Amino acid sequence: MTRALGWLAALALVIGLGAAFGYAPREAVQGNVQRIMYLHVPAVLTAYLAFALVFAGSLGYLFTRRLGWDRLAVAAAEPGVLFTGLTIVSGSIWGKPTWGTWWTWDARLTSTAVLFLVYVGYLLLRGMVDEPDRRARYAAVVGILGAANIPIVHFSVKWWRALHQPSTILGPEPSPIAAPIALTLLVNWIAFTLLFLYFLARRAEIARLEESHAG
Amino acid sequence: MPDNWGYVFAAYGLAVIALGAYWRRLARRAKSLAGPGGSE
Repeated sequence: MTRALGWLAALALVIGLGAAFGYAPREAVQGNVQRIMYLHVPAVLTAYLAFALVFAGSLGYLFTRRLGWDRLAVAAAEPGVLFTGLTIVSGSIWGKPTWGTWWTWDARLTSTAVLFLVYVGYLLLRGMVDEPDRRARYAAVVGILGAANIPIVHFSVKWWRALHQPSTILGPEPSPIAAPIALTLLVNWIAFTLLFLYFLARRAEIARLEESHAG
Repeated sequence: MPDNWGYVFAAYGLAVIALGAYWRRLARRAKSLAGPGGSE
């Protein structure tokens, strides 16, 4: 099952890559550098999903004290950090030719960096506590508090003056994106979600094996 | 605006390296925990 999910994710990524470079048109204002969007936006949406699952797993653990919920949280947190890192790096690379700078302390960029650091801290905290129940309890508290940053990241471009453009998807108004660009974005979003689900399944299985070895 | 293909390939190249490295890392950890002769 997990192996099939991995192959499905790999296929979807190839299709997404083909769409990003072969199907989506050259953007009229930014030119081909806009193609970074098909990596940048799916990465951040996948990170949101990952951290929402960390939140769910953390709440589930605190309510039930079952380690299965903790496994869900850690299995989502690791790829969540990876996808947030990709968001920041791809955004920085996109920012240089379009904004003229690799980095600026804009509200969206800063809140995303904080999100990244909070979940890096979450993983470090897990590494510092050996006893499984105590580790799960401490991590769950950070997992719940850290999730508060997700809406701050998403709405930062509305709440503060920002260099980063407002949301064109997941925004209140209908998306103004042209159909081929929207379709390419959707395909890559699906591909990243499948890849995340594959990582989640593998990482959860590793957590289960680690518990059985420790116990 | 010029196309800046170098930036595009840098972004995608780094993503491929990072995702591929994590994929491998998970495979190695699973293999080491499964023990000799273990599979996923």
